[in-house]
Amino acid sequence: MTVQVLLAGILFLLMVLIGGKKGARSFFTLFMNFGVFLIIIIVMTIPTINPVILTLIACTAISSINLFYINGVNSKTKTAFLSSMITIAILLFFIVIVTKKAMIQGFGEEEIEELSVFSLNIGVDFVKIGAAVIIMSTIGSITDIAISIASPMREVFHHHPSISKKDLFRFGLSIGRDVLGTDTNTLFFAFFGSYLGLLIWFKDLSYSFGEIVNSKVFSAEVITILCAGIGVALIIPITAWINAYYLVKAREKDAIK
Amino acid sequence: MNIIINKLKKMTYKQIILYTIIGLCFVASIIFVNHNYSFYERPIAKVVKTHLEDTTNVTDVHHNKDRLFTQRIVAELKNGKEKGKQIHLTNEYSSSGAYDQEYHAGNELFVSIDKKNIEENTDLTGTIKDVKRDKYIMFVGWVFIFTLLIVGKRQGLFSIISLAVNAAILSYALDIYVNYESTRLLWICSIAAILFTVISLLLVNGLNKKTLAAIAATLIGTFISLLIAYYVIQATSENGLRYEEMQFLTRPYKVVFMAGLFLGSLGGVMDIAITMSSSIFGLYEKDNNISKKALRTSGMEIGKDIMGTMTNILFFVYISGSIPVLILYLNNGSPLVFSFTMNLSLELARALAGGIGIVLAIPISLYTSIFFATRKKAKS
Repeated sequence: MTVQVLLAGILFLLMVLIGGKKGARSFFTLFMNFGVFLIIIIVMTIPTINPVILTLIACTAISSINLFYINGVNSKTKTAFLSSMITIAILLFFIVIVTKKAMIQGFGEEEIEELSVFSLNIGVDFVKIGAAVIIMSTIGSITDIAISIASPMREVFHHHPSISKKDLFRFGLSIGRDVLGTDTNTLFFAFFGSYLGLLIWFKDLSYSFGEIVNSKVFSAEVITILCAGIGVALIIPITAWINAYYLVKAREKDAIK
Repeated sequence: MNIIINKLKKMTYKQIILYTIIGLCFVASIIFVNHNYSFYERPIAKVVKTHLEDTTNVTDVHHNKDRLFTQRIVAELKNGKEKGKQIHLTNEYSSSGAYDQEYHAGNELFVSIDKKNIEENTDLTGTIKDVKRDKYIMFVGWVFIFTLLIVGKRQGLFSIISLAVNAAILSYALDIYVNYESTRLLWICSIAAILFTVISLLLVNGLNKKTLAAIAATLIGTFISLLIAYYVIQATSENGLRYEEMQFLTRPYKVVFMAGLFLGSLGGVMDIAITMSSSIFGLYEKDNNISKKALRTSGMEIGKDIMGTMTNILFFVYISGSIPVLILYLNNGSPLVFSFTMNLSLELARALAGGIGIVLAIPISLYTSIFFATRKKAKS
């Protein structure tokens, strides 16, 4: 038995034990997301298909799984979905430009030695793939924040049906701010954990500060962390506004009837 | 315009000072990164002119089609003895750009100058070493700071501080590890983890019983999940972990992997702990006579809601980084299963172990929160 199978078994057991039916569902979501991830990577190897479009498709699939499969299709998940997609589109645009300008795509000189047996000229646009990496690493937290803002906003609207659009928007923002601190924490530490080897490497080989900051691997990782933070912050006003707009509009429609 | 003026009038004295300081820092730092050539010992050259010399189409043994370009570059040296002189460089790049890129006028590059030409006093030639990336990091850093401040206000500021402080602690802890032979990485990480937890949670939530409960829960939760991961790895005798694909190794790989796993799950567990303790304390404050059983049931309901999304977040952070290398493997004719097991084995193990930590953190933080909340009642 491999480590992964045993760990997955334990995780499944714990999720069912603690979460019951919902826990089992969460476990299968992970499984399905992994499936989407694998399929997208296989398709990405075809050079004629634009990786940015593939990323958008992957994000659509993953957000649908995270939002609709777990929480069901309703107006709450629909607005959360819409806000996630808008945020991802804006972020993707920003990241592609940054990746191209800072030239952080592909592999750094520290990595290239191990990959010397491979042919690097494979016709795939690594700038866009670099952008895909950043987007895919934030997609989990983006959908998480979208749904955690959308749900309480609907609750408040339900309890105070006459609330103004502005107040509703403000309420959404304040909920978002509460989630912001903890979610950025989760992201930062996850990144710290996966970059630990790299950091020790820099220290061991006594790179100077200038060399570290300008090296491709390090700047790529820093930009990934920062862009993830930007995405997590950006989704908050977008979700709050879309929900406020949608809820107030639905009320106006009802009033006309 | 009126809105802006009104906003300005509403601002307090303190706010004005704060915004001015941030604005000044922004301007100063941007000017600095654009003119810091003299701080570098390596020669820096700014591209003045580029000329595309040659284009060839190539097909490798795996039938991947690509285009290769050769670029002649004239650049101006920005620092060192030869400052102000022009240097001639050549750059070969591919359209895929896995390890190379096209340069344009205005790009700044680290170069090495050929010694021979300096002595002979002819035109300088050299080779390109790397790209100067500091100004882009600075730019994205400022976008990050502004977005977090504008959207998050206080919480945004605390997130930024928490990132900066934690990164500094991590860097310092690694310095100790690297400089003192006898220290153990796991011990250092454990001490760092305690600091991380205390500082992050204090910043997110302030000093109160809620935070105390969350800190206790986080430490217990991460510790247990690390223990589980350790025993699973022992029990399966590391079957399925492909350490050979770990990049950047100067140290025993196993320890680095375990320490990374430990740090990675810390954030997720913290998130769960603080969410759980906030809701439990919230429920308790609303109704002081609420029974422990009722607290348990509602706490579990909240936990069920968040565990899926949290495991998802960790999962995507870990596996996404492998996308470029996976594509490289697949396009070089590596079999599908081989490529995936080779490159995802460690990431998957890490994500799963982190997931276990997150799920375990739910009951742990539930009970510590109930303990801390109801102890308050017993005292008063």
